[in-house]
Amino acid sequence: MEEKIKKIKDEAINSINSVNELKILDDIRVKYLGKKGELTSILRGMGALSKEERPIIGSLVNEVRDTIENLICKKEKELKRNILEESIKKEVIDVTEPSKKESIGSVHPITKVIDEVKEIFIGMGYKIEDGPEIETAHYNFDQLNTPLMHPSRDLQDTIYITDDILLRSQTSPVQARVMERQKPPIKIICPGAVYRADSVDATHSPVFHQIEGLAIDKNITMANLKGTLEAFTKMYLGENIKIRFRPHHFPFTEPSAEADVSCFVCGGKGCRVCKQEGWIEIVGCGMVHPNVLRNCGIDPKEYSGFAFGFGVERIAMAKYGIEDLRLLYENDIRFLKQF
Amino acid sequence: MKVGVEWLKDYSDIDVDIKELSEIFTMTGSKVEGYEIKGDNIKNVVVGKILEIEKHPDADKLVVTKVDVKNEILQIVTGAKNIKKGDIIPIAKIGSELPGDIKIKKGSLRGVESCGMMCSIGELGLTLEDMPNQIEDGIMILPKEYESKLGEDIVDVLDLRDNIIEFEITPNRPDCLSVEGLGRETAVSLNKEYKNPNEKIDKLNIDKKDKIEGLKVTIDAPDLCYRYVARVVKNIVIKESPDWMRKRLKACGIRPINNIVDITNYVMLEMGQPMHAFDINSIANKHIIVRRAKDGEILKTLDGIDRKLDNSMLVISDEKKIDAVAGVMGGENSEIEKNTNMVVFESAVFNGGSVRMTAKRLGLRTEASSRYEKGLPQENALRAVNRAVELVELLGAGEAIDGVIDEYPEKQKEIKIEFNPNRINSLLGINVSEDEMVNILNKLDIKLIDGYCIPPYYRQDLEQEADIAEEILRIYGYDKLESSLDNSGNTVGGRSIYQKMEDNIKNMLVNKGFSEICTYGFINPDDLAKSNILENSELYKEVIKIRNPISEDYSIMKTSVIPTVMKTISTNYAKKNSNLKLFEYAKVYKNKSNIENNELPDEKQILTIAITGKEEKFYDLKGIVENVLETVNLNRYDISRYTENTSYHPGKTAIIKIGNDPIIIMGQIHPIVQENYDISDKVYIAEINMKKLEKYSKKEKKYVPIPKYPAVERDIAVLVDEKVEVLKIEKIIKAKAKKIIETVDLFDIYRNEKIGENKKSVAYAIKFRAKDRTLNDEEISEVMEKIIKALEDELGAELRK
Repeated sequence: MEEKIKKIKDEAINSINSVNELKILDDIRVKYLGKKGELTSILRGMGALSKEERPIIGSLVNEVRDTIENLICKKEKELKRNILEESIKKEVIDVTEPSKKESIGSVHPITKVIDEVKEIFIGMGYKIEDGPEIETAHYNFDQLNTPLMHPSRDLQDTIYITDDILLRSQTSPVQARVMERQKPPIKIICPGAVYRADSVDATHSPVFHQIEGLAIDKNITMANLKGTLEAFTKMYLGENIKIRFRPHHFPFTEPSAEADVSCFVCGGKGCRVCKQEGWIEIVGCGMVHPNVLRNCGIDPKEYSGFAFGFGVERIAMAKYGIEDLRLLYENDIRFLKQF
Repeated sequence: MKVGVEWLKDYSDIDVDIKELSEIFTMTGSKVEGYEIKGDNIKNVVVGKILEIEKHPDADKLVVTKVDVKNEILQIVTGAKNIKKGDIIPIAKIGSELPGDIKIKKGSLRGVESCGMMCSIGELGLTLEDMPNQIEDGIMILPKEYESKLGEDIVDVLDLRDNIIEFEITPNRPDCLSVEGLGRETAVSLNKEYKNPNEKIDKLNIDKKDKIEGLKVTIDAPDLCYRYVARVVKNIVIKESPDWMRKRLKACGIRPINNIVDITNYVMLEMGQPMHAFDINSIANKHIIVRRAKDGEILKTLDGIDRKLDNSMLVISDEKKIDAVAGVMGGENSEIEKNTNMVVFESAVFNGGSVRMTAKRLGLRTEASSRYEKGLPQENALRAVNRAVELVELLGAGEAIDGVIDEYPEKQKEIKIEFNPNRINSLLGINVSEDEMVNILNKLDIKLIDGYCIPPYYRQDLEQEADIAEEILRIYGYDKLESSLDNSGNTVGGRSIYQKMEDNIKNMLVNKGFSEICTYGFINPDDLAKSNILENSELYKEVIKIRNPISEDYSIMKTSVIPTVMKTISTNYAKKNSNLKLFEYAKVYKNKSNIENNELPDEKQILTIAITGKEEKFYDLKGIVENVLETVNLNRYDISRYTENTSYHPGKTAIIKIGNDPIIIMGQIHPIVQENYDISDKVYIAEINMKKLEKYSKKEKKYVPIPKYPAVERDIAVLVDEKVEVLKIEKIIKAKAKKIIETVDLFDIYRNEKIGENKKSVAYAIKFRAKDRTLNDEEISEVMEKIIKALEDELGAELRK
């Protein structure tokens, strides 16, 4: 009997090892393990064995059965794997065919610059403020220490609606509005469109954008202004960027300065963008004029502050190498999609 | 302001080159716009004398000359007609350079060797204005006395060398619109001693008189004229000014005219005080009256144009007529003529703002008015007129008559500013010692008396401590300011809810393929008609007009975003860019209140979304608008067809409202408008009122439990008239199912001849679910019956089976 079982086992192992089709493997399973299979019939015939033999043969059969079952299972996995691998070999696609993506749109370069600048100043504790574009002369000029007879009113050709209402020529009136309604400490930036009576050409536009910044608190110094602008330019334009302050005049700041940054296109060596000077003028700034503080209800003896203003287009043009300002307002989709 | 460095050297030693000088000026506040090196483009041109002139052997029109240039005799062939033996002329030798990058080489003319060129004034880059006694078409013949200078460089001989600096002078520094002012800045910037070439003038003491040669002055408007000084000179000889004066004037960009006019300009450039010269005989009764013009009075100014004046303008008049617009320009009637014998020099100080407004109103900005408008110091007027008279005598242009008329109603006020070094240091964030500050103030001629700063008369811009701080800093050095961050640190930065909402929508639109555009706020009035905005509409009536538009294209503010968006689309289509997906955050401006009463108009932030294409894109647009609403969590709103906006197609436009409040309009642009803007595809636009979107958006999200009980789904298809809006069907379904409704999805609309004309079959998948139990079939069937009945009753629908 044991001989017979061993023979079955050897036979089964041989045939499993040599099989290479799933169908045949299934037949083998039926032949040995099926209801009418060879091992099953031995178990069925166990009744004819002696009481002593029965457990021995029983366990032997089960052991062989397990062995065969495991081998079949293993073989089955192996064969299935082979089939899959065969079919995978045939499933080759041309990965260089065009994709099916939905194209994404674009943010206007002016907004892009404004967004990037906002992000940096928010990180330095600034909030973002807004004000009307159609503004009163009171906020656009008077509150900013530029009364009617002031020569600085000539600096900018203002676009008027009435004697007292105009298209704001700067974002600075937002400063005045915020100072009037809010107690220091104040830290804000105000981006927005401004208007001047300039005809359109490659470097002029009657509409352009400014970002105004204002910080008012006790003990704010001009060194803080320089530090803030330096921190900003390093973060925005690169660690190697240098900043230079030059004296200037604005009616709403005293002392006033113009800040140049080392040319971020050529690194200061001199190029077309910086007109061979190595510096690009980007910010007008200064300490908020005591008259402006007073006009807005802040005591200049107690508080001081600084203000600065960037031209957005100027930065966008230098940063992206745009040579003609008109491109920004023409909105040719082939231009827009580049941003 | 342009100045030659040569002139500045009268005031200060200058021991740096022009490049360094420019940088130093810029860093102390007198910004240099650029500089020009004159005489640099003429090299190796010398003074020569013609020794002989022979005929050319082979050319009738040429001559062969021998020229002595000291140390050598050159043979030069020329075609010039105006030369003769013994003439002293400029000779460009072999290897010389002339303006226009011309290099002279050895040459041969018709077989005869020529070793140089005789020069005309043009070839030396000069004009008759520079050399009034020369001719243009011929060789420049130098005066006989130049024979002693044979072989010397013509640039030195004619004094053609100069470095000219152009400054950008800020409006707070009218003192720097003068060579004297810039000379002071030169000295202080280079840390040199200031040399005052007019010390004698400053110490001069002239008797004040009420009348000189019958001339008297009355100031009728002391609020606009702060000082009027006049002196008289006689025996005037009108001629050209000497070369040195002409050269200095031209370096500053002023054209020389004649000695008297040149003197007035020279003094203006030198001291910053504009001056006017009248023929004394042209003044009626020799009585100068400074008064306001009468409305409608007319003066023909020196430029020959009749100027209509009004009561806001100050004039210099006599007992009969007007002679000048004060501070702006003189009249033709009092002009200096060839036969003028006696001249009045006026040196006056007027109200700056008044001169500025007058010049602006007359459209006549002059060298004088641009100085006056910044506010000039009264204390400068007397010295300036004395300087003019001194120059008259120096130039031999006339004889001074003793005495001065000086109408000076109120003396210039002295400014006093408290000097507090600690506060200056703490405002600037620097640490400069008091001694150093005092030293700087001294250099700037700011006196320190009893703890107060007293600025000099010419620095009326210094009014308070911050001004003194700036003076200290610009001389101490802006470049020495150390960066530091403020340590207030008690503000919290960030975006407002509205700003975040704008950003979220923008990001969503960009991800969906939309490109942001940026357009102007103003439009051409024609755009209203082009956009089919009718005259009786609010969008037309609320238009805000610009008073001083740059051009018709930018003359009104837009009340609708349609014109600028359509223009953008049009520009793109003209360049063959089609199938556009655009968006913009822009403002519209409406005169809601009364702008004439100083009330600001209404400015609304509008999000515009535009899609173009050949096919029907309404539902694409609607989809994007729904995405916008989802982005701000706004899910309860009403949509209905809208026909009121004439820019849109009346059949393909919708309005979205919250209650009765409209927040969005969207639809196809009217085909006429599309045609007006020359766009070959259909255009779909949505206008979203951002402030209202924010108002109704749900700012906080709340978690809703995930359902525990299963849903029951039923499909239903009904046949309705074409004109029935599907939203009504959905609303009825929802109303009848009440609380157990979960979703109603329209999945098919079917039109076919078989179901009849003007009919459509609409199919919905309805999902029911209860929060607290499993729904049973009976319950659902009951609800379905109610729904079907309502659809039949209310819409005449027919259930399809």
